[in-house]
Amino acid sequence: MSTMFPAIVNQILVKGEFVVLLYFLFVNGWYLILLVSSLLELRRHMLLITDESRHLLLSSTLSPTISILAPAFNEEATIETSLRALLALQYPSLEVIVISDGSKDRTVQTLIEKFDLVPVKTIYEQRIRTKPVRGLYRSSTYSGLVVVDKENGGKADALNVGLSFARGELVCAMDADTLIEADGLQRMVRPFLYATDVVATGGTIRVVNGSEVKLGRVFRTAVPTNMLAGVQVVEYLRAFLFGRLGWNRLGGNIIISGAFGLFQREAVVNAGGYLHDTVGEDMELVLRLKRLSYENGGPGRIAFVPDPVAWTEVPETAKVLGRQRDRWHRGLADVLWRHRGMMFNPRYGITGLFVFPYYVFVELLSPMIEAVGLVSLTLGLVFGVVDWKFAALFYLTAYGLGTALTACTLILEDLSFHRYETFRDRALLFWWALVENLGYRQVTVYWRLRGLWKFLRGRKDWGTMERKGFRPVTAT
Amino acid sequence: MVSENLLNIVMLVEIGLLLLGVGFFFAHGLWLYVSNRRLLRLSKSARESVARLITSGYVNVEEIQALRLLPDNVQVIAFLEISRNLSGSQKERLGFVAQQVGVVDRARKLCESKRWTHRLRGTRILSRLDVPDPMVHKMLADPHPAVRAQAAEWAAAQPSVPVISAMLTLLADPATQARFAVQNALLRMGGVVAGPLSTFLENHSGRAAEAGLRVAESLAEPSFGPAALRHSRAEDVGVRVAAANLLGAVADAPAAERLMELLGDDESRVRAAAAHGLGRMQHWQAGSLLAERLRDSAWRVRRAAGLALRSIGAPGALFLRRALKGDDRFAADMAQQVLDLPEAAAG
Repeated sequence: MSTMFPAIVNQILVKGEFVVLLYFLFVNGWYLILLVSSLLELRRHMLLITDESRHLLLSSTLSPTISILAPAFNEEATIETSLRALLALQYPSLEVIVISDGSKDRTVQTLIEKFDLVPVKTIYEQRIRTKPVRGLYRSSTYSGLVVVDKENGGKADALNVGLSFARGELVCAMDADTLIEADGLQRMVRPFLYATDVVATGGTIRVVNGSEVKLGRVFRTAVPTNMLAGVQVVEYLRAFLFGRLGWNRLGGNIIISGAFGLFQREAVVNAGGYLHDTVGEDMELVLRLKRLSYENGGPGRIAFVPDPVAWTEVPETAKVLGRQRDRWHRGLADVLWRHRGMMFNPRYGITGLFVFPYYVFVELLSPMIEAVGLVSLTLGLVFGVVDWKFAALFYLTAYGLGTALTACTLILEDLSFHRYETFRDRALLFWWALVENLGYRQVTVYWRLRGLWKFLRGRKDWGTMERKGFRPVTAT
Repeated sequence: MVSENLLNIVMLVEIGLLLLGVGFFFAHGLWLYVSNRRLLRLSKSARESVARLITSGYVNVEEIQALRLLPDNVQVIAFLEISRNLSGSQKERLGFVAQQVGVVDRARKLCESKRWTHRLRGTRILSRLDVPDPMVHKMLADPHPAVRAQAAEWAAAQPSVPVISAMLTLLADPATQARFAVQNALLRMGGVVAGPLSTFLENHSGRAAEAGLRVAESLAEPSFGPAALRHSRAEDVGVRVAAANLLGAVADAPAAERLMELLGDDESRVRAAAAHGLGRMQHWQAGSLLAERLRDSAWRVRRAAGLALRSIGAPGALFLRRALKGDDRFAADMAQQVLDLPEAAAG
């Protein structure tokens, strides 16, 4: 018995290795394609925007109207600064709709006092069913400001209410704590001006932790010294500059960050708005828009703008980060399950044949494969089937490629926008890129597996996101 | 078992890639730091030279020679930076100096390149300098939409008959990017395009007409009236909406009459545009018709009618108050909401 068990482990390991290697080949093949694609796309983009005159958009009466939908829940402390920053965005025809999602604090009262709000009769065209609206306010000072006070129903419900009140041709969905660059909307609107088949655009979201913030704008960029935040800077760079940009060129974008995205209002309303019963409502909407464009015709291109257009605060504690990643993975599983009919379905073009399978095999199942690899390697070591040298080599081979890929992403950032300029920032970025594989990545595998498990058990709770707050500008 | 040798090779390759990447990352950072400092220093002196050449009334050969010796990108940066703040005769002078230094010739060469990115760069430099160069005029027919769009930007400052004519042809451009740039440029040209645009609208229909009508609406010249009336009977809904908007901007008696007819259009977008137009021209005679539209089945029409009544002033407010007491709940609700709106939000 004592000799049989290691033999079984040995057999599993040999077969498992073959599967893991095939998986690595598949994944790395895709990564290579995405890397080349993002490099080409970024080069094209930089050539297009160098010395362009975006200010012409500002003075044009032809620019499409944008309605910003800003859901707020208990944001009393920050709502004034956030809203003033939104109202000061450099865009000619802008409407800002703040939706207080049943705030229990003084969010609405603060808005009434600070922005000269007056109540108006609550009548609106309800094209999407939502929780009841308690009050509607318009500003006597800011013509484009609308404040909606509604019963609590979650972010998706708040955005749906915002869609009912929006008058703009385009709607911008964002999180209450997202900081938008002053010219962010000018950059994001470009794809809509360049093509008629664009239904939504997303931009690069950067991590604000560590950077200095003043009046709702990022004043000085810096890489955070906190390990979790630092590693997430690297993760965000990789996700946006490498993943989404790469897919953009291949026409396979299906994700727009919930923190900041621009959509054709009519298309979103006609599609039924955001779904309430999913934790991945942003991805679900984008995939639904894409799916509907294949099924019914109409615009369906999801464009990605690589310019850094918005900043978000990321969790700095393992507990909160774990909840976030668990929720993200549950959301991914839920969305892919809802739209499973697209998988390998030629009716959905490149999305059905390549993008959807990529998200299933690479994004959704990767924690399982990674966990199998890690567990079998550990078992192999415990039972003496694998020697230390081989284990170390296998580990380095598996994760070394990830680090090399991250290094390529850092180069992409450096060749294009290079927002992290100092030697300290560069050294920190590189350090976090190395550290990411030494424990952090393995823990995220656990969080993502937990998310999958919860999905299988039907859990749909969000968990709470605790925020530390932005770092104010220090006197220099 | 996977061969250890294979793993060794793979790992070595990865380490090599990683080292190469890291080396490049830091080396590029260092290069950026050094080159930025150099660029700052050189472009500062270049800017000063260009500013002196523009403000002085004569051609300083030595200064031009000194500028010529600077790297090409420094020259371009200096000229483009200064071009943003100049107009009129000073801009002409800037173009002249750029010609003397060689920036214009190099941009022209870029325009002749086979690569669209080079042509875009060349066109961008010439358009930012507002150089009245026939080369850029040619770029209005470039195969790449980004280049055409850039040339259209240049055209905004060159309102000659052939340029306007070429621009109007581009209103039918299949590429949205170029079409938007052309519309924008025509708007910036101002009243000078009114005549040719009227003729264009008389002779075109469909997408081109819709694009032209949107430009005409912003220019709001009375001469667009007949064309707007004609297009308000078009089959295409988008064209009818654009025509209704233009009629509201033209704001003469025939326009008001036609807008009142359009309040009965089958398409809600057209009815809403007509109501908006009547409100825009503050046509109080349309009050009763607009009050009827408060009962429209489409939300957008009810809202546009309500806002139009409010724009009309006292007679409109009377209709809105009457609607409050009427038997139609939808009309009463809309009237109440419009009356509640603060002044800033009712425009």
